[in-house]
Amino acid sequence: MIQWMRIALRNILKNRRRSIVTLISISLGFAAVSLFQGYTDNVYEGLRISAIRGEGLGHLIIYKKGWLEKGKTKPDQYMFSQEEIEKAIELTQKDDHVILSTPQIHVSGLVSNGRTSTIFLAKGVVAHDDKVIKGDMAEFWPVKGNVLNQKHHYGVEMAEGLAKYLGMKPGSDGVVMATTLDGQMNALDIQVEGVYDTGAEATNDKYMRFLLPFAQSLYDTEKADQLVVLLDDWKETQQIRTRLLSMLSAAGLNCEIKTWNELSLFYRQVKNLFDMIFLFIYIIVLIIVVMSVANTMGTAILERTREIGTLRALGMKRRSVNLLFSLEGAMLGFLGSILGIILNTAAWSIIRAIKPTYIPPGVSTPVTLIVNLVPHFMFSLMVSLIFLSLLAAILPARLAARQNVVEALGHV
Amino acid sequence: MSIIEMKAITKDYHFGETVVPALRGVDLSIDKGEFIAIWGPSGSGKTTLLNLIGAIDEPSSGQLFFEGQEVVKLSDNKQTELRSRHIGFVFQGFNLIPVLSALENVMLPLQINGTLHFKAKEKALARIKEVGLSNIANHIPAKMSGGQQQRVAIARALVTDPSLVIADEPTANLDTETSHKIIRLMRALNEKEKITFVFSTHDHRLLKQVKRLVQLEDGMVKEDGGKR
Repeated sequence: MIQWMRIALRNILKNRRRSIVTLISISLGFAAVSLFQGYTDNVYEGLRISAIRGEGLGHLIIYKKGWLEKGKTKPDQYMFSQEEIEKAIELTQKDDHVILSTPQIHVSGLVSNGRTSTIFLAKGVVAHDDKVIKGDMAEFWPVKGNVLNQKHHYGVEMAEGLAKYLGMKPGSDGVVMATTLDGQMNALDIQVEGVYDTGAEATNDKYMRFLLPFAQSLYDTEKADQLVVLLDDWKETQQIRTRLLSMLSAAGLNCEIKTWNELSLFYRQVKNLFDMIFLFIYIIVLIIVVMSVANTMGTAILERTREIGTLRALGMKRRSVNLLFSLEGAMLGFLGSILGIILNTAAWSIIRAIKPTYIPPGVSTPVTLIVNLVPHFMFSLMVSLIFLSLLAAILPARLAARQNVVEALGHV
Repeated sequence: MSIIEMKAITKDYHFGETVVPALRGVDLSIDKGEFIAIWGPSGSGKTTLLNLIGAIDEPSSGQLFFEGQEVVKLSDNKQTELRSRHIGFVFQGFNLIPVLSALENVMLPLQINGTLHFKAKEKALARIKEVGLSNIANHIPAKMSGGQQQRVAIARALVTDPSLVIADEPTANLDTETSHKIIRLMRALNEKEKITFVFSTHDHRLLKQVKRLVQLEDGMVKEDGGKR
């Protein structure tokens, strides 16, 4: 095999100009696909952390069975009672991968500064648990002023857009109004502890964060509508969902559990879009690679017809001729991929050094363009390009192997 | 004992609807260890006859035996194996693989038939020495003269220790002095190793060195000089 690889390599080097053009096509294609994959990998990672930590979805959210379907119309019926919350927390925290599980409640209503009112959406959280969920993300989306504090029962965090609309800042007083679960109007005083950027224009003028007891008292209930579970490894999400579901069910808690990616619509939309673009680029690159290699090998075979005749006369079997030319195609794929890895790494280094920024749609602040190096993807891309190059060479190689020996020897 | 036995061999070439007969009923028997020249004018069928003897082409009719085996009845793979193990080729245009050195070209037939690298190298070096080219064993064909290339081709033809070497106009692209040297080399190898040599030529000056002359004309044997 080694001697055939040596012949294949020397033939590639012999036809330098043609080989270089083919190698450039393969390597540019490789680098384009690989860089895009590196970019999407970084975006998915960012969106995942943003969903889990930033949006505060955690890795899993546990609902009482029926909440997602009928919770809006009969919230009281599909919320967890205090006793159920305690039981569920105790059970979920038995799993080694669970860092914490915390109850939350969503409330909505009107918020007023005394002169102007507008709608709000808020989440009632346990301050300490919310801090754990946010983790390092808290630094990226800092709260101006103070964060929620268990001691300040009426303290709230308000989204920047909403605060701006109402002319409120940390220390400002206001009122929130909502309908309790029993259908009574309720109003409570608030004090703005801090102002934060939600990171999305669509939510920046509506969102607030309350302490859980405050949100519960606004709805006049002790219940919670969800239990957020934070894990130590996002890759374990599916397995733990299955495990928790059966554990809760065995304890008589009829629940349903959603994962962070099922709940993050934005993550799914962006991922679907990028996956589609990736597929499009990938197919174009594959076509370019196949066409380049097939063209190069077709020309090589035409030029080396006499050589093929000689090899056959010397006793080389058809399948060996086939192998020889297929190897040459595969080697083009291999060398092109190696060159592609070098190009990709060079582009990656330049991007890391320059740190260009851009504003993605729906985001209010510039984001640094980061491209990840994804070795396992580069390896599988290399394998697929080698395999494709081999396939692209097989057809011309088969034609070469089938040539009549005498005609091949007489070829000029 | 015959190494080649040809009975009423014909070979036609088809160009569209036109049929061109290249051989018209050739009977020929070649014994082991013979040194034969097939000669005749251009178009007399010399190359076609050598192609058939070398099992790289098949006759339109008639029977062709190689060491008692009917060649036509062998599969393509078996014919290829037959060439690999028993027949060596020397071509008019040398047909060396341009990307390989002289040594690698000579090793090639052995590598094709699966000989281990070190053994192939050992045998190839010995054959290269035999044809007097040890000093340029690592040169590629483009760096060699025509005579040197043809000697490499002869070493390549002999490296598998074949029972038959076929040389189609081996001196056609060489000057007179080199042509004589090549024929003398082939003759010496024939006498030393008893390898059967069959070559074609239309150069009358070379025929004096040949034991047996077979003259072809219009696809038929006009004269068979028999064994001298």
